[in-house]
Amino acid sequence: MRSVRVMFVLYLLMVFAGLAYAISLGFLGH
Amino acid sequence: MPRWLKDNGLSIFFGLIFLASLLGQAVSGHTSVNHDAVLHHGDPISFWHYVTSAVFWTDVMENWQSEYLQFTLYIFATVWLLQKGSNESKPLNDAGGESDEKQLLGEHTKRNSPAWAKAGGLRTTLYSNSLVLVMTSIWLLSWFAQSITGRVNYNADQLDHQAPPVSWATYITTSDFWNRTLQNWQSEFLAVGSMAILSVYLRQRGSPESKPVGSPHSATGEEG
Repeated sequence: MRSVRVMFVLYLLMVFAGLAYAISLGFLGH
Repeated sequence: MPRWLKDNGLSIFFGLIFLASLLGQAVSGHTSVNHDAVLHHGDPISFWHYVTSAVFWTDVMENWQSEYLQFTLYIFATVWLLQKGSNESKPLNDAGGESDEKQLLGEHTKRNSPAWAKAGGLRTTLYSNSLVLVMTSIWLLSWFAQSITGRVNYNADQLDHQAPPVSWATYITTSDFWNRTLQNWQSEFLAVGSMAILSVYLRQRGSPESKPVGSPHSATGEEG
């Protein structure tokens, strides 16, 4: 189950990193 | 094949084709934007500039939000709505949240049930809806991100044409925002509806998304 947990965390990290970057664009003035 | 690869085939396969497609979108999007810039006697931009820009991220976010909405709605709607003959539906008399016995809750939990399933009270209520809660959060955040990045592009275009920039509250009422949103939603809803109804009469041998090949058309909610 350890590798499954790693994939679970990787997916959440990937999605929330993308969301955080996209939302930050509204405040960084790109 | 290593054990970790066999155990995670689906998530690794889709993760890899996601990253490859995102890269393809970035490369083709960059080329397309620069082609347009040359046509309008503008300056081309670097690849890095493009992939960190709101132009690229609006396109990414508008697709993300519609996918997460699709799956969120599907998870939620299939609790109550049924489709006779569909593998995607529960049996016709199972609408709703189901009994504790069927959901392995209360006195029916097993020794290896998740801790929050055993805990009872608020924790079990939260855990009982955790998939929809997280999927809904990702949908709302990506839709919000689409509006944020979409507004940056919209205002850049406004300023290019000597028009005033708009506030976020105004942007989410524009046809640009709703056109981007609804063009994605319509395709998702069609695909989900198709999946629910096509699985009544059509089969894919070996797939859990299909009924067994020999299963009658009227059978509802079987595993493949």
